[in-house]
Amino acid sequence: MINYIIRRLLFFIPLLLAVSFIGFVCINLAPGNYFDSLKQNPQVSQDTIRLYEQKYHLDQNVFTQYYYWLVNISKLDFGYSFAYKIPVFEVLKSRMFNTFILSLSVLLFSWLIAIPLGIYCAVNQYKFTDKLFSFFSFIGLSIPSFFFALLLLYFASLTGILPAGGMHSLNYEAFSPLGKFLDLLKHLIIPTLVIGTSSIAGLQRLMRGNMLEVLRAQYITTARAKGLPEYRVIYLHAVRNAINPMVTIFGGSLAGLLSGAALTEIICNWPGLGRLMLDAVMSQDLFLFAGDLLMISFLLILGYLIADIVLAWVDPRIQYQ
Amino acid sequence: MKKSYSQLGKGIRKLKKHGLAMVAFWVLVGLYLSAIFAGFIAPYHYDNEQRSLSYASPTKVHVIDQAGKFSWPFVHKVSQKFDQFYNRIYVEDKTEKYPLRFLAKGDSYYILGMLKANRHLFGVDSQARIYFWGADSRGRDLFSRIFYGGQVSLSIGLVGVTISLFLGLFFGGISGYFKGKTDTLIMRICEIIMMIPGFYLMLSLRSIFSYSLSSLQLYFVIVCIMSFIGWPGLARVVRGMALSLREREFVLAARALGVSDIKIIWQHIIPHSFSYLIVAASLSIPGYILGESALSLLGLGIQDPYASWGNLLSESMAVSQLKFHPWILIPGAFIFITVMAFNLLGDGLRDVFDPKMDIGRKF
Amino acid sequence: MKVIKTVFSLILLLFLPFFIAHPECACAKNKPKYGGELVLSTVTDPKSFNPIVSKESNVGAIMGLVFEGLTRTNGVTTEVEPNLAQSWEVSEDGKVWTFHLRQDVNWSDGVPFTAADVVFTFNQLIFNLDIETSSRDVFTIEGKIFKVEELDKFTVRFILPVKFAPFLRGMGQEILPKHLLEKVVSKGKFNYHWGLDTKLEDIVGTGPFMLSKYLPAERITLVKNPNYWRKDKQNKRLPYIDKIIYLVVQNQDVAVLKFEQGQIDYYGLRGQDYPILKPKEKEGNFKVYNTGPDFGTNFLLFNQNRDKNKKTKKPYVSEYKLNWFTELKFRKAVACAIDKDSIINIVMNGLGSRQDSAMSPSAGFFYNPNVEKYEYSIEKAKVLLKEIGIYDRDQDGIAEDDQGNKIEFNLFTNSENTQRLALANIIKKDLEQLGFKVNFVPLSFNQLTSKLDSTFDWDALILGFTGGIEPHFGNNVWQSSGHLHAWYPKQPKPATSWEAEIDKIFNQAVQELDRDKRKQFYDRWQEIVAQELPLIYTVLPQSIFAVRNKFGNLNPTPYGGAFHNLEEIYIK
Repeated sequence: MINYIIRRLLFFIPLLLAVSFIGFVCINLAPGNYFDSLKQNPQVSQDTIRLYEQKYHLDQNVFTQYYYWLVNISKLDFGYSFAYKIPVFEVLKSRMFNTFILSLSVLLFSWLIAIPLGIYCAVNQYKFTDKLFSFFSFIGLSIPSFFFALLLLYFASLTGILPAGGMHSLNYEAFSPLGKFLDLLKHLIIPTLVIGTSSIAGLQRLMRGNMLEVLRAQYITTARAKGLPEYRVIYLHAVRNAINPMVTIFGGSLAGLLSGAALTEIICNWPGLGRLMLDAVMSQDLFLFAGDLLMISFLLILGYLIADIVLAWVDPRIQYQ
Repeated sequence: MKKSYSQLGKGIRKLKKHGLAMVAFWVLVGLYLSAIFAGFIAPYHYDNEQRSLSYASPTKVHVIDQAGKFSWPFVHKVSQKFDQFYNRIYVEDKTEKYPLRFLAKGDSYYILGMLKANRHLFGVDSQARIYFWGADSRGRDLFSRIFYGGQVSLSIGLVGVTISLFLGLFFGGISGYFKGKTDTLIMRICEIIMMIPGFYLMLSLRSIFSYSLSSLQLYFVIVCIMSFIGWPGLARVVRGMALSLREREFVLAARALGVSDIKIIWQHIIPHSFSYLIVAASLSIPGYILGESALSLLGLGIQDPYASWGNLLSESMAVSQLKFHPWILIPGAFIFITVMAFNLLGDGLRDVFDPKMDIGRKF
Repeated sequence: MKVIKTVFSLILLLFLPFFIAHPECACAKNKPKYGGELVLSTVTDPKSFNPIVSKESNVGAIMGLVFEGLTRTNGVTTEVEPNLAQSWEVSEDGKVWTFHLRQDVNWSDGVPFTAADVVFTFNQLIFNLDIETSSRDVFTIEGKIFKVEELDKFTVRFILPVKFAPFLRGMGQEILPKHLLEKVVSKGKFNYHWGLDTKLEDIVGTGPFMLSKYLPAERITLVKNPNYWRKDKQNKRLPYIDKIIYLVVQNQDVAVLKFEQGQIDYYGLRGQDYPILKPKEKEGNFKVYNTGPDFGTNFLLFNQNRDKNKKTKKPYVSEYKLNWFTELKFRKAVACAIDKDSIINIVMNGLGSRQDSAMSPSAGFFYNPNVEKYEYSIEKAKVLLKEIGIYDRDQDGIAEDDQGNKIEFNLFTNSENTQRLALANIIKKDLEQLGFKVNFVPLSFNQLTSKLDSTFDWDALILGFTGGIEPHFGNNVWQSSGHLHAWYPKQPKPATSWEAEIDKIFNQAVQELDRDKRKQFYDRWQEIVAQELPLIYTVLPQSIFAVRNKFGNLNPTPYGGAFHNLEEIYIK
């Protein structure tokens, strides 16, 4: 098992480096040079300029810059954000937490709804409810996230029931811990619905497909022949076997989540890594951009890694490869 | 009547039995035709402003005249006022009727960039305006702009997927056929590109290019960015096909006969992958359309005054204002319908060719 | 008779308690309460916390709560009042001013405020050539500065080189603490001192509030200064409010909704927000105030900087572009291409007015409405351009000048301001009708101001300046050597004859103590500006803001806004 983990790590880490390098090069290629404008700004001290040159080697070519950036990352120094004027790590910390909360919420929401829905549809195959949910899940898959978000925000602003964007109410600080939690939940509803809907659609169809396959298997017929009550047949035997393959796509769904979340974050004004990325690109904030990309890729890889490990644990065949 | 036994022929016959997919197919045909003939369908040019009619509501088309009798459809001239709360109010000037004209003369336009024409499907005399789906902030007709926008949004999907297909075919074919080190290298590159979450990659690539590009250059840049993000997915499909096909008898036979590798790839492997590619392509086109829409929505894509469904939606980001002009959301419905149509079509095609195909399943 | 008298007195007695009690009841209602917080919003983070060095309006607004000057301007009457100085005398020739400072003022860290701080602020900060401050421009006349000296612990003397009409009003200049900043200045580090990463306890002022917490891109919190010297009529210490929170709400559409939901107490409306908020006044328990045209200016300007970049030796503006931008008819043509009426209708939802002059109509006395006005006319603009050789020779849609250069330039504005973005798009469309190729790029506000005051790599900008009632406080903009002389700052000597004339006007007008004679000077200045168009004015929004009804002592005025008397405001 440890071997397997190590092998996966050896696979993922170069990938992480490659991705961050690509991102670094991209933002460096961007026209205009923020560092030059800093040098000319009288409100920026010579000490700061020298710091940038010596510690981060911003006056050198891309490769040198990248190398030193990596070196600093290993010391957990993500550099300085030009726009926010504080260490990038500080900015990333809070944003990462926010994106994580949103992703967690979507994950819980989509899996907790999709799995039972898939089971239900499989058991009631071809009935009206099955067809209805199929139809809805197709809509959920096809509706563009930004359009759905805009529609929901529009109705929220009309009715005032849900907050139209943002993560906290402005008087958040004044709430009790329970109040804070509820406030967070209220703000999570719209973004979670938007991102979760397409998640649910896909997951539900998959679960349904798996269940249908499993329900045709011989051991199910045996179980029924033995006289087991139907619910035991379904929940004890069928579901457990149908869920197994779902674990494989867990990592991938995390990836899709993190990617799809960015646009929704921007539209719903959720202060996460996606929103940050857009700001960093608009203001050519080199370290913020590179740090953000690294963080997102890291979260992604973490997801894949966890998925691989869980899968290896669940399915012994994989370990012997 | 000779029935076609080619894969394609078989596929199409099977597809015809798939109701929903056929509906999707015709919807798409309709959309693409409307894009080609956008100039004809739209009563106004996309840049035709009427600043005094900012955010005008959809024009009322009357069929009953003042006397209460049925009449040829007509509209009235509209002027804008502010009420006490500075809401925009559009007041009809009921003194004059402007009949709805078909095949009306209007702004000139080009079909497919070549044919110049100036007849439109419908229109009214220039003293009045017909806003079928309302106007935007500068008084431009949303209905017209949606169809012009379709030209951009729909074409980017096709052009993007074509470029990706070529790249994917090339790299995937080589990778799967030659195996070994080339295969590993190409697949690693694919993995790296696919690993970066699409939205972030899109932003990164867009940041490389300056903001002062001409609209044509910008279109090209956006298409290239989308293709760059999309080709690894297709390459993997092709690679998978190439890997399995290279061991088949007809390929071995061709090699034994001394046919060159390139010819084998081109004449044998690719045609057999055809069905898979069609499915993969039609399921990935929505990604291109959504990608361009996202960029334009954020102001990084197609710029004013050119229309794309994405940048038409950018005015709707001011959510608090939507209640005054909710028709601004209509372009989103077009994107939705297009995406749904491609998904239905791709799904249908997949079921037709091989239901066990594992292409483009979205989670 | 006696009975009637008795009855009458009895009745009076019965009602007397009500009469006596009534004033008490009124008192109880009006009695200011301590505590509570005021929640405001800002669209962007401040660039720094240094009020001397920064030129951005949001920094000024926040730091104006932390620092104070010797005098202040009353938000209602616009008269000058004593503040940190409790009285003053002026010599007969008007050039020697002696201020007697309050003796009961302490900095928020407890150190007493003395004349040494005033002398330090002027001599070591404002007049210090190593420090980049545009305040210096206001207090420099014909190259000469004031002499500021300490007579004793609480007396300061200002010796002016010439008469200075707005002197008293100008003494609203914030005073900074000598005991904390002297070392920094001597080490030459003041320009980057008090940046965003400063420990907030180190930012010490005499004002009613102090900085308490800063969460980047989220909020700036100020708490009341417990040592604030000002007291109310009952001799109780001010301010009443405990906390002021500035929330960074990058998206104005979100801010409107948050105000509707009760999360912010104050919101500066755009014209398009009016139909959303005004009808909900009763239900939302707030009031919307429309106080007339905004005090500032909004304009389009072209880069006329003739200098070279000292490092790269290349001129800031390419020569062929400079030829267009410095050509008056070019600018006049652009002025004729600004569709002000449509901009007011579309961008400001009808709640705006044309701007033609360098001062806002709200400025009152010094405003000159009789300046050259430019009507929207694309044809007239094209005629003007043809006269200087700019027209589309090859029918490709883009005009060329007589050297064959295509008229193409970039246009920047700040992305946070949605109204400016809409304005820019309309202007861009109209300029394209003239055959110009305009590359419009929205930037963040801080990037924009960097271009304006350090890198100078821009062609055209859409921007605005804050304004007031005293024209001389725009000296940093209008002096050709000024820091904010946006189209060509810090000129060694005036580049054109009209800029030289404006320099002369400002130098003479500031010395003229007779108001009417002063007005003549400033009238002429506004005429010149409208003729020469260094700034091409566009439209002025109405100053509209919404405030929750929970505040007592609220007295919104056009000049003072809603919170000019913030230290007296309490939450009911």
